[in-house]
Amino acid sequence: MAWITKNSAGTVVEKRSEPYLTAAMKADLTNRLLPRFETTHAALLPALHMIQHEYGWIPAQAMLEIAEFLKLDPSQVIDTASFYEEYWLKPKGENLISVCRSIACEACDYKAITQVCKDKLGIEVGETTDDGKFTLVEVECLGSCDSAPVALVGEKLHEWLTPETIAKAIDDVKAGKAGHHHHGH
Amino acid sequence: MQFNAKDFNPHLDGPILTKRIPCWPYADPKGRHVVHLDEYLKTGGYNGLRKALTMTPEAVVEEVKKSNLRGRGGAGFPTGLKWTFLPKVDEGKDPGMRYLAINADESEPGTFKDRLLMDFDPHLLLEGIAAACYACRLKRAYIFIRGEYHHQAYVLEEALKEAYAHGVFGSKGLLNGTQTAGGGTWAVECYVHRGAGAYICGEETALLEALEGKRGWPRIKPPFPAVKGLFGKPTIINNVETLCHVPSIVEFGADWFSKQGRASTLGAGAPPSFGTKLMGVSGHVARPGTFELELGISLRKIVEDLCGGMRNGKKFKAAIPGGVSMGILSTDQFDAEMDFDIGRKCNVLGLGTACPTVFDEDTDMVMVARNIARFFKHESCGQCTPCREGSGWLYQLMTKVEEGNGKTKDLDLALEIATSMGSMPGTTICGLADGNNWAVRTIMNKFWGEFEARVKPSYVPVKMTIGAGAR
Repeated sequence: MAWITKNSAGTVVEKRSEPYLTAAMKADLTNRLLPRFETTHAALLPALHMIQHEYGWIPAQAMLEIAEFLKLDPSQVIDTASFYEEYWLKPKGENLISVCRSIACEACDYKAITQVCKDKLGIEVGETTDDGKFTLVEVECLGSCDSAPVALVGEKLHEWLTPETIAKAIDDVKAGKAGHHHHGH
Repeated sequence: MQFNAKDFNPHLDGPILTKRIPCWPYADPKGRHVVHLDEYLKTGGYNGLRKALTMTPEAVVEEVKKSNLRGRGGAGFPTGLKWTFLPKVDEGKDPGMRYLAINADESEPGTFKDRLLMDFDPHLLLEGIAAACYACRLKRAYIFIRGEYHHQAYVLEEALKEAYAHGVFGSKGLLNGTQTAGGGTWAVECYVHRGAGAYICGEETALLEALEGKRGWPRIKPPFPAVKGLFGKPTIINNVETLCHVPSIVEFGADWFSKQGRASTLGAGAPPSFGTKLMGVSGHVARPGTFELELGISLRKIVEDLCGGMRNGKKFKAAIPGGVSMGILSTDQFDAEMDFDIGRKCNVLGLGTACPTVFDEDTDMVMVARNIARFFKHESCGQCTPCREGSGWLYQLMTKVEEGNGKTKDLDLALEIATSMGSMPGTTICGLADGNNWAVRTIMNKFWGEFEARVKPSYVPVKMTIGAGAR
């Protein structure tokens, strides 16, 4: 629901002295990404991915920095950033659990999977645990309907889920066993 | 497990798209692994591209056109014909910047076929991209892949590195600067570009907007992308599976391709359903999975023979032929034949992605309608009012009916709203609302009794006798 209006006029941007868009990111944008496109605007999705990958979300200050670097208006950046569901404009937990709720997964009882997540983490869908370790969301189709029900834990897809296997996946993350997937943005 | 593959694919000597990806009825999926360049080359890889370079670009386009290959992304538009919409290039003249955008934004619920190709045989897609770029005189290709496909993006990036090193892409690319029959060499740059979670970006012009860094709002056509697309330049947008068909069509010819599948059953002049199609079955079947099958095979045969029948011995109740936007096949349409004629013959929107989601006798069809209505409400980009508002209304009405609070007039209202939204009624820019309305409408119409039983009557019955018996 990207079209919901936002109170952007009243937004106060919290600032920190250290930039979010680092020199290394700028270099990567300049050397690797910008030459791919006719416009600087086209590097916006990759730039937003970069920030989110590093910080877990996209602070308003980072959007201002991206706007300045790509020579865009800040409004152009937030227009895009607020449209796409994967971009988090407020902080989320270290580990994002995305349970698929689309038709094949509902036919294969995804609700039992969400319930286990809720019970184990003590949060509702859309919430983050107090220790900041987990955020739980339900998402539309993850493109793996033959192995329904499925969920993404971080970047790793868990298939053929049962209440037991999703519980184990969460325990593994808690124990630090899952680790990150093999790559960045 | 063992199948007689000829039983399913009578015109095939072996798998084509899934030559290197074990799939039933040919081989056990347990043996799947990522095919790297070495293995790809050893198994005939890049032969299609090599052959393409010995032909003029026009001849390659002509071959694809002659094959009647139809787009595998859902719409079934003839690929070769689409390619001819590009502005003509005079021989020896530089056409200027022209683009290929590869639609790898597979986000339609029930659809997971492109994932298989990108997961295991990334070079097949890259070869298709290279051949298409040569044929259409395109200089840059962007593989627009949905954000949630983390692993697939990684596999593609790795394969791209190999392809650059092997002289497929880059300034010394298209196989190390081969002198082509088109005159001179041809160079193509290819990049992976990641989306960020928006179903609408699978719509071709929304995809271009997203590539340009904007919100994924579909554009009004015309101008069509082939004339004015990415950054205002001529652009071709093709689905992953469509491009994966190109190398073998070039290598073995259009006649070979059109021996697979079948001509239209709707009579002479109707566009044919040639070739094989990846069909990914999900839902209440014993063994879900992806299969490469000739177009025209019946849904019953796929479910009963390849998928081991319905799960837990239940009975078949309904199926979505290929992605939720296509509508529903009713219980008596189990024998529906999976080809591009299915829309006309079975009163669904079309074949879609040919990835059936199957439901058993215990399935609540009101739940199915509500789930799908929620999906479209969630994914409407909000640009056109009938879709933005209509999708919300449909979801609310379906929820109300599912919870037992609906009345007869809610069903009438839902049908009225559904009929009025979409590009076919002419009230929206893109087809998202058409998918929404076909899904909800066909489920309601084909399972009307179930919906009616869930609602309370809107009228107050009055006892009255009219006519001869009246007094």
